[in-house]
Amino acid sequence: MRDAAIVPVAATADMPILHVLFKVDETLYALPADVVLQMESYTGATVVPGAPAFVAGIIQLRGRVVPVVDLRARFGLQPKERTLETRVVVGEQHDRTVALVVDSAREVVRMAPSQLKPPPRLVDDGARGFVKFVAQLGDRTVMVLDFAKVIGEELPDV
Amino acid sequence: MKVDLREFRAAYLAEVDEHLSAINAGLMAVDTANRAGKSSPRELRELMRLLHTIKGLSAMVGIEPIVGIAHRMETVLRAADRAGGLLGDRALEAMIAGTRAIESRVRAVANDEPVLDAAAGTLAELDAVEAEMEADVTPQSLVPDAILDPEVGAKLTASEREQLAQGAAGGRHGVRIDFAPSPAKAESGLTITTLRDRITAIGEIVRVLPMAMPATEAAPGGLLFALILLTDASLDAITDTAGVPRADVQEILAARLLPLGPISDPNPPVGASSADGAVAGAESTPLGDDGAHVEVQRPGVLRVDVARIDDTIEKLSGLIVTRSRLARAAAKLRDAGADTRDLDAILIDNARQLRDLRAAILRVRMIPISTVLDRLPLVIRGLGRTTGKQVRLSLEGGGAELDKTVAERIFPALVHILRNAVDHGIEKPEERVRNGKPEHATITVTSSSRNNRQIEIRIQDDGRGVDRARVSAKAGRDAADDTALLELMCRPGLSTRDQVDTTSGRGVGMDIVRKIVVDGLGGELMLETKPGFGTAFVLRVPLTIAIVDAFMLRCGGQRFVVPVPVVEEIIDLDPKRLVRGPRVGGHETRFIARRDETVPVIDLAHALGLVNPHAPYVESGVLDAMQALVVRRGHDEPVAFAIERVLGQQETVVRPLVDPLVVVTGVSGSTDLGDGRATLVLDLIGLTGKLGHARGVAA
Repeated sequence: MRDAAIVPVAATADMPILHVLFKVDETLYALPADVVLQMESYTGATVVPGAPAFVAGIIQLRGRVVPVVDLRARFGLQPKERTLETRVVVGEQHDRTVALVVDSAREVVRMAPSQLKPPPRLVDDGARGFVKFVAQLGDRTVMVLDFAKVIGEELPDV
Repeated sequence: MKVDLREFRAAYLAEVDEHLSAINAGLMAVDTANRAGKSSPRELRELMRLLHTIKGLSAMVGIEPIVGIAHRMETVLRAADRAGGLLGDRALEAMIAGTRAIESRVRAVANDEPVLDAAAGTLAELDAVEAEMEADVTPQSLVPDAILDPEVGAKLTASEREQLAQGAAGGRHGVRIDFAPSPAKAESGLTITTLRDRITAIGEIVRVLPMAMPATEAAPGGLLFALILLTDASLDAITDTAGVPRADVQEILAARLLPLGPISDPNPPVGASSADGAVAGAESTPLGDDGAHVEVQRPGVLRVDVARIDDTIEKLSGLIVTRSRLARAAAKLRDAGADTRDLDAILIDNARQLRDLRAAILRVRMIPISTVLDRLPLVIRGLGRTTGKQVRLSLEGGGAELDKTVAERIFPALVHILRNAVDHGIEKPEERVRNGKPEHATITVTSSSRNNRQIEIRIQDDGRGVDRARVSAKAGRDAADDTALLELMCRPGLSTRDQVDTTSGRGVGMDIVRKIVVDGLGGELMLETKPGFGTAFVLRVPLTIAIVDAFMLRCGGQRFVVPVPVVEEIIDLDPKRLVRGPRVGGHETRFIARRDETVPVIDLAHALGLVNPHAPYVESGVLDAMQALVVRRGHDEPVAFAIERVLGQQETVVRPLVDPLVVVTGVSGSTDLGDGRATLVLDLIGLTGKLGHARGVAA
């Protein structure tokens, strides 16, 4: 048995937060685990005509219908064929559940808030606010995404 | 960040809550089996799975004490599994104490309180019962090793052997499927996961054994999975379903009882007439005293796989499509001046017969609501045990019938409401006595058909009622009446749980209840509450109405669904009868003459903006489209949407699309046609409006 004493739930000042790591076009991204509901392999989505171009369509997850955002399209990158590595990272925030298509996702790390730095201004401008923080994990650079921005909280007429 | 955490916590709590109630029910089932002197290998494994999930979820949010307790409980279950699927009374008590410990910590999480480590006593007891069971394990061999492949046999646990033996006694045979994963197979969609799914449809998987083997071309990973299953299906049928070579499927244990005894016996025993042949067959069962495994059916009652009924409905759909073709053919004759009065009368009879047949088949899918309600006492016993409250459940009614799908979906909502009632609504026995109420609380569940479309289920407790002030305070808004109060309670994540022993309202899980009842089934949820006297939740759900009768069609290479009532007519498109309108702004309009109306024909794929592999027919003049659906918006002129063709008609459950990313004109929802994928439900009327609007703007 672990010898953990009292573990308070409310986050203390610099308690490490679990993050899910994933790759899009060889770049490493992360989302805080409290946003991520689940990760699933991806077998394609049903196209919704008239939806924004970065929306791959909808999929069914445990009886729920969830929109799928193709991160490559969202980030203006070249499309890539689906592989066995392709995953959807399903996130939930403010009542919305949206899946993100990523090239691969297989790692979970703990990062302390003090590790998370605001992105350099150029990155910030180029990424339209999608990147909330940048962190160094050893020699790897991780961009922590702003889930709400990625799924488009600024969508018009909704 | 803090807001996000709270949001995730709501999801965590909801999910763990659900698993905990399943664990409670599972432990009760083990208790019942124990008292009947039976082992419960399947329940134990389900419990193991549930605890494992809780452990994983809790680790993800970093609640170590729960991880620790769940881990110990899992270890106990594993020991019980090795001991032949028996969880003794002492071990059961320890497991219940463990569940209670998890529940109180989950409550602490909900209340934002510190989560305490488990009491040493609880953990020590779990350790002790585990040690006791480990010492107790006596090798059992219910399945003779001679029958089992020794390589496989050595790897199965005692309880898995027992499961096989019981299955064989019940008329199924044990089968081993060998599967070596490879990239080539994965390309074609065959992985251990898809194989598992396919097999689950035809049998019960006892164990999946990974085995190392020398790497070959067929098994590049040097890994082989041996799936051990129990099934009724023949080896050939399994081969077909699994999609593996026939040589990789072998029987490892023959069924001991022929399920179709009387039919396969050419010389029935003297005196056994054909009418009681089934009884004679049952008597010849070698394990007749093992009542649990020989299913005795009530006379005149038949258990049928739902898939067969659905298949029947599909066949009926074909008949309905044929009828509309027949009606069209008759109309053609009439137009040509033939006397069709006899034919018209027959068509009217035919339509009525089809309607009756459809209603009759839908009735087959109906089950009494009692089949759902009868599972509730077990839930209540589990809840009473873990909360120390004394609750009596009274079930009234139960004869009303509803569709099996609706019944299955409503069950979790009822469990949530009961759990909330016991946790929050009902006072501790001391408090009840102090307030002049009987020590035993009563929850009454009443069900009745309201009309031939809806069933009403009322869950009434005699507890303290919802604390309106507290809910209002938590939600930061006043609730003028019960309806407004329910609205506040159904906000996701709203919890009024406070310190134990202080007056608390309800909240956790109500958003889930509303999702099931209102969003999922298109029903209604109501609340009546009176301080000091109790609370009633009223659920009204459609008997079948959540299921929409819809046409399936193909258009632009994609499958879609359109509700039947929207479609005025399905017409075959004859290119020769299409009339070309003037070309304005590059847009060519086409019309078709339909009786005394001129109907514009719009290419649906084009209107939806689908990328059509072929050029849209309007531009190219090549008709991909073979048929068109005629719809009419109110009293407007009708519009014909050209499609490739109608594929059939099917009952579907429609889920609305709510996320702003996918709220688009012309699409009203999504449905599952049985392939596990989402199929779009089109709103052709809405699409007509959009086209009309666009036209208005252009002009």
